[in-house]
Amino acid sequence: MALVELRNISKCFTKGDETITPLANVDLNIEAGEFVSLMGPSGTGKSTLLNLISGIDRPDEGTVTVDGIDVTALSRGQLADWRANNLGYIFQTHNLIPVLTTYENVELPTLLLKLKAAERRQRVELALEAVGLTDRADHYPRQLSGGQEQRVGIARAMVGHPKIVVADEPTGSLDTKTSEQIEVLLKRLNQELNITLLMVTHDADTASIASRMLRLDEGQLVDITTTDLR
Amino acid sequence: MIHYVIKTLWRHRMRTFLTASGAAVAMFVFCFVGSVQEGLNRLTTGADANQSLIVFQENRFCPTSSRLPLDYANQIEKIPGVAEVMPIQVWTNNCRASLDVVVFNGADSHKIQQHRPINLQQGRWATFQSRRDAAIVGKNVARRRGIAVGDQFSIGDISVQVAGIFESSIPSEENLIYTNLDFLQYTQGLDAAGLVTQHEVVLNSAADPDLVAKNIDRALRSGPVATTTRRKGAFQISTLSDLVDLIGFAHWLGFACVGLVLALVATTTVMSVEDRLKEYAILQTIGIRPRLAFRLVMTESTLLCLVGGGLGTMAALLVLTLGGFAMGAEGATIAFRPSLSLLMMGMLVSLGLGFLSGCMPAIKAANVPIVRVLNQP
Repeated sequence: MALVELRNISKCFTKGDETITPLANVDLNIEAGEFVSLMGPSGTGKSTLLNLISGIDRPDEGTVTVDGIDVTALSRGQLADWRANNLGYIFQTHNLIPVLTTYENVELPTLLLKLKAAERRQRVELALEAVGLTDRADHYPRQLSGGQEQRVGIARAMVGHPKIVVADEPTGSLDTKTSEQIEVLLKRLNQELNITLLMVTHDADTASIASRMLRLDEGQLVDITTTDLR
Repeated sequence: MIHYVIKTLWRHRMRTFLTASGAAVAMFVFCFVGSVQEGLNRLTTGADANQSLIVFQENRFCPTSSRLPLDYANQIEKIPGVAEVMPIQVWTNNCRASLDVVVFNGADSHKIQQHRPINLQQGRWATFQSRRDAAIVGKNVARRRGIAVGDQFSIGDISVQVAGIFESSIPSEENLIYTNLDFLQYTQGLDAAGLVTQHEVVLNSAADPDLVAKNIDRALRSGPVATTTRRKGAFQISTLSDLVDLIGFAHWLGFACVGLVLALVATTTVMSVEDRLKEYAILQTIGIRPRLAFRLVMTESTLLCLVGGGLGTMAALLVLTLGGFAMGAEGATIAFRPSLSLLMMGMLVSLGLGFLSGCMPAIKAANVPIVRVLNQP
C-alpha cells in the first residue's frame, strides 16, 4: 500500500463566468521514502494538488489517503492535528513567523506534539544542525538571507518527524546558487533521513533531483521520469 | 504559545502601549466614577442610614438655615422607639456643591465617643473632652488640609485645637470635624445659643424608623419650629439631591468608558489580526488547531485589557487612597474611597472587555481561508 494515494481527484474553480478544472479525475500513488517532483506551467494545479494532500484544501471529488487515513473525511480541527503529526510543509516564500527567532520558528511544530522539553530541544538542535543554521538560532527572520530563511523553513518542516514533506516551489524565490544549496539539502533529507518528499516546481533542473518526475498537463498527471527535459 | 502572544504584543509595542494606555485612562475614569457611586450607595444603605433619623427644620436645606431648639431633644427622647438623641450644630464653609467642603459637627463629646462609629487613630479622647475648643478631625479632611494633632486649625470665624484624628467605618464620617456643641453654638456669627441645626436620633433595633419619624414631627408640631424627620440616608440623599442627579449622569460616563475600552481594544485586535492573517494561515498549515488560533487572539486582547485596565484601576485606587477626595453640599458629604469591590470590579470589567473585544477577530483568525490567504502576495 502506497503512503499517499489519490483516487479520482477533481477540483474546479470559478473565475467570473468561466469554470477552470485544473485537476480532473487524477490518480497518484507515492511510496514511503520516495522523492517526487511535480512540474507544469503556472496555473495548471500543481500547488492545488499539494494543498489537497496537505489537507489545507478539499477536492470536489475523490479521496486523498495518507498512511491509511482518508484526509478528505477529517474535520478542520482533525486536519490540523493530522498535519501536526504527519506533515511538513515547505513554503515558496519561507513564511517564517517574524516575531520568533530561528530556534523558536523551528520549535513551533514540536509544541503541538506530546514531547518532553529535553526531546523537543534535541529535535530542534538536530534540525538546525541538519540545515547548517546552529549559529543562527537566535536570529530573527529579518536578520537572515533568503536562503537561510528557506533552510529554517525546511528545518521547521522536518522537526516533527513527519511521514511526508511537501514543498511548494522551495527554490522559486531564490537565486541560482542558493537554489542549488537548497536542492542538495532536500536530496540529503530524502536519502539520509528517508523522508518522503513531494516537491512542486516549474524548474526542470530542480525537478530532476527527484527520483520520480511528474508533469501536470491539462488536469492529468504524466510520468516524465525517463524523459530528457534539457 | 503564550510566548508567541507576548512577543507579538512586544513587536508592536507602540500599538500595544497606546492601546493599553487608552484602556488605562478609561478604566481610571470608570473606577473613579465607580467610587463616587459607591460613596453615594454607602450614604443610603447600612444601619447608620436606616436606623438613625435626622430631625431638621421644615422646608430648610442648608444647615445655616435650620435652627431647632436644643430642648427638642428632651421631647424626642420620650417617643417610643428612640434610644438616644444627639443634638448637632452644623457649620460648613460652603453650602454649595464643593470638592473641598469643611463641615463641623458640634455635639456632646461623650455622645460622639459613644454613638458615632469612629476610632481615634491619633490623639486622645480625654483632650477632646476637656478642652472647649478642641476638635477631632476625620482622616480625609486631615490628609486634604494637612492637619496634624496639636495644630491650631482655623477657617472662617472658627479656630480649633486639633485633639485627634479619627477613622470611621462610614467613609463620609471621615470628612467631618467634631467639636464640642457649646463651642460651635457660641462661635461668632452663628449666635446659636440654645439652638442646634439638627437632632440625630438613634433608634432601638425593633423600632420602625418611618413611624418614629412621623411621631417626632407630630409631637413637635406644637413647638416654635416645625420639623421634618427622615431616615439619615434619605435626609442625606435629599440634601445632596443636585449632586445625586449629577452622579447619576456620571454613571453613564462610566459606561461610556467601558464602551471606549471595548472599541479601542477591539479595533487594535482587529487591525492586528488583519495584518497577520497570513501568520494564522501559516500556523494552521503547521498544525495549529483553529481553536488554538482563536485562543491566541483572545489571549492577546485579554492581556491588553488586563494590563491596561489593571493599571488604570490600580492608579485610580492609588489616587483615591492618597487624595482623600470628597464631594459635599449643604453639610453632607460623599466620600470617594478605594475599596476591594472597586478593585474586583475594575479587574473583572477589564477581563470581560478583553474577551468581548477579542471575540470577532479571534473567530476570523480561527476561520482564516488558508489557501486563499497563503496565495496572497
